[in-house]
Order: sequence, then structure tokens, then C-alpha cells
Amino acid sequence: MSQQLIDIPEVELMGKGHVACPGCGSTVAMRFVLKALGEETMAVIPACCWTIVDGPTPSSVLKIPVMHTAFETAASAASGLKHGLDARGEKNTTVMAWAGDGGTFDIGFQAISGAAERNEDIIYFTYDNEAYMNTGVQRSSATPEGAWTTTTPTKTPKNKPKKDIVEALAAHHIPYIATASIAFPEDLIAKVKKAKEIRGMKFIHIISPCPPGWKSLPNDSIRLARLAVETKIFPLYEVEDGWKYHITHESKGTPVKEYLKAQGRFNHLTDADIENIQKTMDRKWKMLKMKEKLSLEEMEVLD
Amino acid sequence: MSDIMDLKNDQTLMAISTGDMSWNKTGSWRYMRPLYENKIPPCTVGCPAHEKIPQYFALVKEKKYKEAWETILPDNPMPGVTGRVCYHPCENVCNRGEYDETIAIHNMERFVADQNLDNHIPEYLVSKEKREEKVAIIGSGPAGLSAAYQLVRQGFKVTVFESANEAGGMLRIGIPSYRLPREILDKEIDDIKRLGVEIRAGITIGKDLPLSNLQKNFDAVLIAVGAYKSWGMQIPGEELKGIRSGLDYLKQYNLQEQATTGKNVVVVGGGNTAIDTARSALRMGAEKVTIVYRRSRAEMPAVPEEIEDAKKEGVQFVFLANPIAFHGNGSVQEVELIKMELGEPDKSGRRRPNPVKGSEYRIEADQVLLAIGEVPDLEFTEGQFKLLHDRLNLDNGQMTSQKGIFACGDAANGPIGTVVDAIATGHRAATAIGQYLRNGKVALNGKMESGVPFDTINLDYFVNEPRPKEQQHHPETLKENFEEVNLGITIEDALNEANRCFSCGTCTYCDNCLIFCPDVAIHLDPVKHEYIIDYDYCKGCGVCVHECPRNAMAFEEELKWNK
Ligand SMILES: Cc1cc2nc3c(=O)[nH]c(=O)nc-3n(C[C@H](O)[C@H](O)[C@H](O)COP(=O)(O)OP(=O)(O)OC[C@H]3O[C@@H](n4cnc5c(N)ncnc54)[C@H](O)[C@@H]3O)c2cc1C
Ligand SMILES: Cc1ncc(C[n+]2csc(CCOP(=O)(O)OP(=O)(O)O)c2C)c(N)n1
Ligand code: SF4
Ligand code: SF4
Ligand code: SF4
Ligand code: SF4
Ligand SMILES: [Mg+2]
Repeated sequence: MSQQLIDIPEVELMGKGHVACPGCGSTVAMRFVLKALGEETMAVIPACCWTIVDGPTPSSVLKIPVMHTAFETAASAASGLKHGLDARGEKNTTVMAWAGDGGTFDIGFQAISGAAERNEDIIYFTYDNEAYMNTGVQRSSATPEGAWTTTTPTKTPKNKPKKDIVEALAAHHIPYIATASIAFPEDLIAKVKKAKEIRGMKFIHIISPCPPGWKSLPNDSIRLARLAVETKIFPLYEVEDGWKYHITHESKGTPVKEYLKAQGRFNHLTDADIENIQKTMDRKWKMLKMKEKLSLEEMEVLD
Repeated sequence: MSDIMDLKNDQTLMAISTGDMSWNKTGSWRYMRPLYENKIPPCTVGCPAHEKIPQYFALVKEKKYKEAWETILPDNPMPGVTGRVCYHPCENVCNRGEYDETIAIHNMERFVADQNLDNHIPEYLVSKEKREEKVAIIGSGPAGLSAAYQLVRQGFKVTVFESANEAGGMLRIGIPSYRLPREILDKEIDDIKRLGVEIRAGITIGKDLPLSNLQKNFDAVLIAVGAYKSWGMQIPGEELKGIRSGLDYLKQYNLQEQATTGKNVVVVGGGNTAIDTARSALRMGAEKVTIVYRRSRAEMPAVPEEIEDAKKEGVQFVFLANPIAFHGNGSVQEVELIKMELGEPDKSGRRRPNPVKGSEYRIEADQVLLAIGEVPDLEFTEGQFKLLHDRLNLDNGQMTSQKGIFACGDAANGPIGTVVDAIATGHRAATAIGQYLRNGKVALNGKMESGVPFDTINLDYFVNEPRPKEQQHHPETLKENFEEVNLGITIEDALNEANRCFSCGTCTYCDNCLIFCPDVAIHLDPVKHEYIIDYDYCKGCGVCVHECPRNAMAFEEELKWNK
């Protein structure tokens, strides 16, 4: 009788009773990621919403071992954990770091850069809700230009562009980088499964709608994660070895306005602001397409 | 807690959690409650018989064609007929039409019926409890047959009186076999007879048997005599040989397999009878057939597909002209026409045609067939009934002005003029008669409310796909060729069409709600095959409701549930 539209693994490694806000995108992300990785996985979670979401000692909503660490240490703690497991001969266990954008783009960046340069065999996930949400919506370097946060109030909204973390990681020439969205579960799960099979450092960037931080409706979280992609604001692609670009979903090119208007954090934007954002996104998409084309050409030369 | 925190020699200095979070019943946060709630789609509302369209499509997807057919049957015992000749008002309101192209519902209906030509209406659809009351039905058109079927299903004894020698009404007498092959009609009538409906053909009420006789011998009577009396034009020369009603002409051919046909035939009218008359005349040897219609093509009441088919077959059209006289010497030779122009819209909303002074001209014809409308022949009622616009006037319970005498179909007031209206009003009449015979009172349901609106469909889950094209067979030479023209759609097209349907308001078990729940609060009960929401944990975010592609869920204030 079932007529599924989306084909994903049935296994469920996230339990019930977590304390995320209603409609939290990062919980859907965690659910999908664990479906892809399976039981033989250990997670390292630094300070971020997920520290709390997982539950207070002695409880954890995840059915895999979780190590909570300090804010800036996800990548180094995960590296250490992986080496420890290796030393004990438990080579099959996947080690994942699961950090927010603050813990990744900002304070944790040194640790990631180090792990990337050493090519540690871990998967580093950042669920990007585009601010320090756990402490009350402070701006991070992942906050998009023009957005409201408590530290960039509407009178002086953020005036710096979002840091391009994928490019920063690509510059480390690690084996695998991908972007993913919870509105595209099959794409997300395929990327995580692929990452699991690759040895060395993997980095996966997941856009993660946050209703209180984005001032959006809880029931809009999947739609926003989809619009982020379809508007070209958050394209879905992979970068292998730092130079092989591959777009995994052709964005429709829905006007950015549709995405921005559904979020209170962008309420103050004027039509001209929105037009500027549109232009920036169109340009970035074009550049991405060019990179994909160039890398395809280059791969043919190598063949 | 302390034992967990206890330090053993081989353990690091670290708190370890071994419990889960199930103690934390986050359902208490909820102020909105998601629910599973199937709703009625617009197609079901638009179909006068209210067929359960997405429900039978779901079975088609699983290639369960018999079950799909049995899903249609309670509302319509003749899907092979309606799948071919219904003007499909369901499609006019199909939500998919606002996205790309409407679902080919009538093709699907025919497809399902054609997959079941070897099956008969199953016994389980008929009530095991038999009742003593007897019902007489006058007329075996779609209205009479549908009512007979529904009454037999309720356990009543039913006798149908039919003046023609065979049952079917206009389906047999009017609609040509190149649109409705008689094997299909015979099969579906036979299925109804098998359930115990007695049909007494060759008996005309009012001639062979008076209405009073039925009133005496039956507990209820249903009048379903259709509309057979043709309007004349009341213009000079109408008595000339070669001028007759198009319906009489069709009837003669359909019952006797021959009817005198001219070489140069003019058909007057713009409805489906005019089109059928013209296309039949071509098949019966006319060299030239011209339809004369007083308004323009846009106002023609005939369905566009059939106008197209008539054109393809060579029927000529003269628009904005009306006969004012017929000329000839004993037999008709010329039709005198006057040109018309369109003025203000009339009651029907179509622009009223007005004659243009001095524009008279003549065209040649050796036969003229008038197809300008029919009214019921109610002579047998001897003026005992209240009428409205020449048809039997009914109350809300399908009852005429005489107690215990009901009416339906084209003979009565209400939705008229199509086969599916006849089937639907026949069903309503049967329900009314059942209530009347059981408890003396009739209370029918009101109009069905409008269906699931288009803007509640989540289009993110659909992609543009074209509607299938029905195959057609237009023979090289039409003469003597009454083979079916429309050939239906292929199995592949039918499966694709079932998938293209949004299934508005009807859960397809797509699992979207379950997959996207941030709180893992939805499960599928494998035994009952139902989704279950765990309200102990559901926070009421509404993601499931929003990501349901087809509005098969509801979202209600928790307060309403917590009284
Ligand atoms: C040429 C033509 C083509 C049409 N094409 C279509 C089409 O493609 N699609 C569509 O939806 N509709 C079509 N229609 C309209 C449709 O056929 C009618 O609306 C429908 O058949 C009405 O059903 P009914 O049961 O009320 O009456 P009918 O089908 O007219 O049946 C009435 C029956 O009652 C019998 N009867 C009448 N008086 C007596 C009496 N005194 N005693 C005993 N029996 C009696 C008649 O012999 C007849 O069998 C067409 C009509 C015509 C004329
Ligand atoms: C060194 C240090 N500084 C500050 C904090 C306080 N702190 C805890 S979580 C957090 C914000 C985390 O933001 P992000 O990484 O984006 O995750 P999110 O909360 O948005 O999920 C901060 C500032 C801390 N735990 N440690
Ligand atoms: S603040 Fe945002 S990211 Fe954090 S739990 Fe709530 S919804 Fe999720
Ligand atoms: S899309 Fe399907 S369910 Fe919706 S109106 Fe059309 S046929 Fe009916
Ligand atoms: S998605 Fe889950 S938590 Fe949200 S309303 Fe639906 S069942 Fe409740
Ligand atoms: S999302 Fe799919 S499974 Fe859930 S109610 Fe809607 S149609 Fe049914
Ligand atoms: Mg954050």
C-alpha cells in the first residue's frame, strides 16, 4: 500500500524526548545522518544547541556513544577519539564531529584546519543555523549579510558576507566536502554514505533552519531548507580533493525574496537590499557552475 | 544517579549517560495538534455521481484493477459507459489543471471498466437482507437503471418497464455505437440484471398499462422516462418530406440498423445531438453534411472534442445562421437561412442571437434533421403532476407532487441532460425511495461541499508531466463504419496518470509526515496500516502537516482536545 516518495533507511538512532525547539532543523539533520551512518558510529559534540538537545546526564537521546567537549575542540577531540579507537583495533567505527556554525566557522576553526591538514579520518558535520543560537542568537561568521541577530539589531544588521566555509576547507585539499539540506533527504544520505566510505577528512555542511533564531514558523523548516537550495542561496554540491566540483541538484532559481520573506530576521530588508542579495547569489551560482565545468574539463584531460 | 557517577579504577574521570530521554514527555509543550484527516477532492465533488477518484487511482497504481472497479461501482454501475460518453465535469475542477494539465479522469474510468469486462458486479455489494416492498420504474435509461441497481442493492424488489424492445434509453436509442459500442452497454446492463432487476421491455406505460395500475400494485413508482419529444421549429415548409427530428433519425437507425439518408443533409442545432446526427449521417452515406447553428462556435453546447472529431470527419459548419423557411416541391430542396449577430448575454449566460434584417439566403438540402432540443413526453401522467419548465417538479426528496411517486433523470427537474446526471439523480431517487419505504420520511444529504483547494497542495513534491493523449481511430471511409473512434489509453498511460494525480486530501502512505518529523513521533502501525502520532512526544511543530503533499492532515488547537 505504501507509495513512498522518498527512499531512506528505516533505522532510527535518534530517540524521543529531546529538548530541541519545535520544528528544529538540526534534529531532522541528525536523524538523517544517523540513518546513513548506522550504529557503529561515535559522535563528538562541542558546546552548541545539540549539547542541550541530546539531554542532561545521565540521559542521551542518541542511541550511539556521544562525547561532549569544549566549544572549540570538536575536530581535535574527534581526531583523538579516532586514534584511540584505532589503537584499540576498532577500526570500523565512524567518528563524527557534530558542531554548530559558531563552533565551526569561528571558535573551532583552528581545530578543523589542523585536522584537515593532518587529513584525520573523521566526518565533520556542521549544522548551520547561522548564529549562536544556544546562547540567544548572537551573530557568527556564518550569519548571512543583512540578517538580524541580537548582536546585529535591525538598525545595524550584519554588514559582512557569510564566510564561505566550503571554499576554506577546499583550500585544505581534503578528500571530500559536501553541502546538504534536510529538504533533500536522499541527497543528504547519499553524501553521508559516500563520506563514510572515504578515508581521511570529510566535511559536510548542512543548512539548518532554526524557528526562534530565524523568526520563522516551526512548520516552515523543511520548506525553508528547500528554498535555501532552490533560490541558489545554498546550492547542493560536492568538492573532492579540493578541486573536483559537482553540483548534485540543479537549483530552480526561485527568487530569493520567497526565502527571505518567510523569515522575521530579514523583515527590515528593503527591495533594493533584496535585489542586491539576488545579484550576489546569481553571481555565486554562476561561479560555482564555472568551477564545476572547469573541473570536469580538467578531469577529462587527466583521463 | 550515583552509581553511574561512581569511579572504577579502569574508567576515566567522566560522567557517562546510559539512559535515554523517553522520560521527557515533550508532548506537554504542544499547543497545536496534528491529525490524520482525509478530505474530499474537488473531482469527487465535481462528478455528479461523486465517484471516489483518488481512491480507485490508488488501486490502479497497485495494478489492482478489479478492486479499483469495485471502488467505482457503489456510485456508478456503468463506468464503461460513462468512461466513454460522460462529458467529465470532474475534470473541469481537477486541481492538477491549475498546475499543468487536468487528470484524464474519464480515460481512467474507461480503462478500469475495460479491465473488468469479464467480471460481474460482486454479490457483496447487494444487501443480504431482502425486503418485501416492490418498486416500479418507468424507463430503462441510465436514470432508471441506476435507481434499479441501487434499490436492488438495498434489498427491494424492482421491476423496470420499458417501451422499447431493449433496455438502455438514450444510451441505446440516441448515442451512436461509434461512441458507445453496444457490447459495452449490453455488458453493463446485463451486470445490473444479474443482481435481480426485472426489466419488462416492450411495455409503454400509458398505452399498454396505465400509471394507476403501477400505483396499485407497487409500493412506490419512479418515473425515469427521459426527454424524447422533439421541438418543432414552427416555420413554413416544416411539413415537407425529408424533414424530421434528428433524434427520431438516430433512433430509427439505432433500433433498425437503417434510416433513409439524403445526399446533401442539413442538421440544425449546436448540441451533442446535432453532432451525433451529423456524424451518423456521414456514416449512413450522406455525401455532404452541414450543421447550421444560430450562435458561434464558442457558444456551442456540444463538447469541444466532439466538434473537433466531427470536423475531422468532414462535417461542415455554418455559424450565426438560422432557418426561417423550408422550400421544395413535396420534398425539401432548399433551406432559407437568415444571418444572426450576437447581442447581450441571455439567462444561460450565452450571447443572444438576433436576426440581421435583409440577410436571408438559401442553401440546398435534400434532407433536414432538426436537433434543437427535447422535452419529456408526459402524456401518460394525464396532467396529474405539477410541472416546471415542461418537466416533473420535484421536492428535495426526489418526490413528485404525488405521494409515493418519484422521478429522476431528464424527465424531472434538476440536473439534466447528461448520462452521469441521470445516474446520480437515479441514485438519489433510490435513496429517497428506500427511506420512504422504510420510515415514511425522506431526508437526503445536501450538496457536497467544495473539495480540497489547490493552494493546499504542496507542489514541491510534484513535477510537470503531460496528460496522456487518447488514441483514436478515424476510418478512411466512414460509410457503414460504426466502429469505435476513441480507443482509450494504454496501461502505461493509466499507471502514469494515477501517479500524476495529486490525490487531493487522500493519504497515499507516502511516509513524508513520518520522515520529516523532528521528534520521531510518527509511526506506521504495520498491522492496521495506519499512521500513529505519539502525542506523548509530538511538540506540535506542524512540519508533518506542511510536508504532506496532498493535505491529508489537519492541524487543530490543542485546547479543543484537552477539555
Ligand atoms: C443523441 C444524443 C447523444 C447524447 N450523448 C450524450 C453523451 O455523449 N454524454 C452524455 O452524458 N449525455 C448524452 N446525451 C444525453 C443523455 O443521453 C441523457 O441525458 C440521458 O440518457 C438521460 O437519461 P434518462 O434515464 O433520464 O432518460 P433516457 O435515457 O432518455 O431513458 C428514458 C427511457 O424511458 C423510456 N420510456 C419513455 N417513456 C416511456 C413510457 N411511457 N413507458 C415506458 N418506457 C418509457 C424510453 O424508451 C427510454 O428508454 C445524449 C443525448 C442524445 C439524444
Ligand atoms: C569557550 C566558550 N565560549 C562560550 C561558550 C558559550 N556557548 C555555548 S554554546 C554557544 C553558541 C554556540 O553556537 P553554535 O556553535 O552556532 O551552535 P548553536 O547553539 O547555534 O547550535 C556559546 C557561545 C562556551 N560554551 N565556551
Ligand atoms: S535554538 Fe534553533 S537550533 Fe537550537 S534547538 Fe532551538 S531550533 Fe534548534
Ligand atoms: S489531482 Fe487527482 S484528486 Fe485532485 S482533483 Fe485531480 S483527479 Fe482529483
Ligand atoms: S512533525 Fe512530529 S512533532 Fe511536529 S507536529 Fe508532526 S508529529 Fe508533531
Ligand atoms: S504525508 Fe503522505 S503519508 Fe503522511 S498523511 Fe500525507 S499523504 Fe499520508
Ligand atoms: Mg549556530
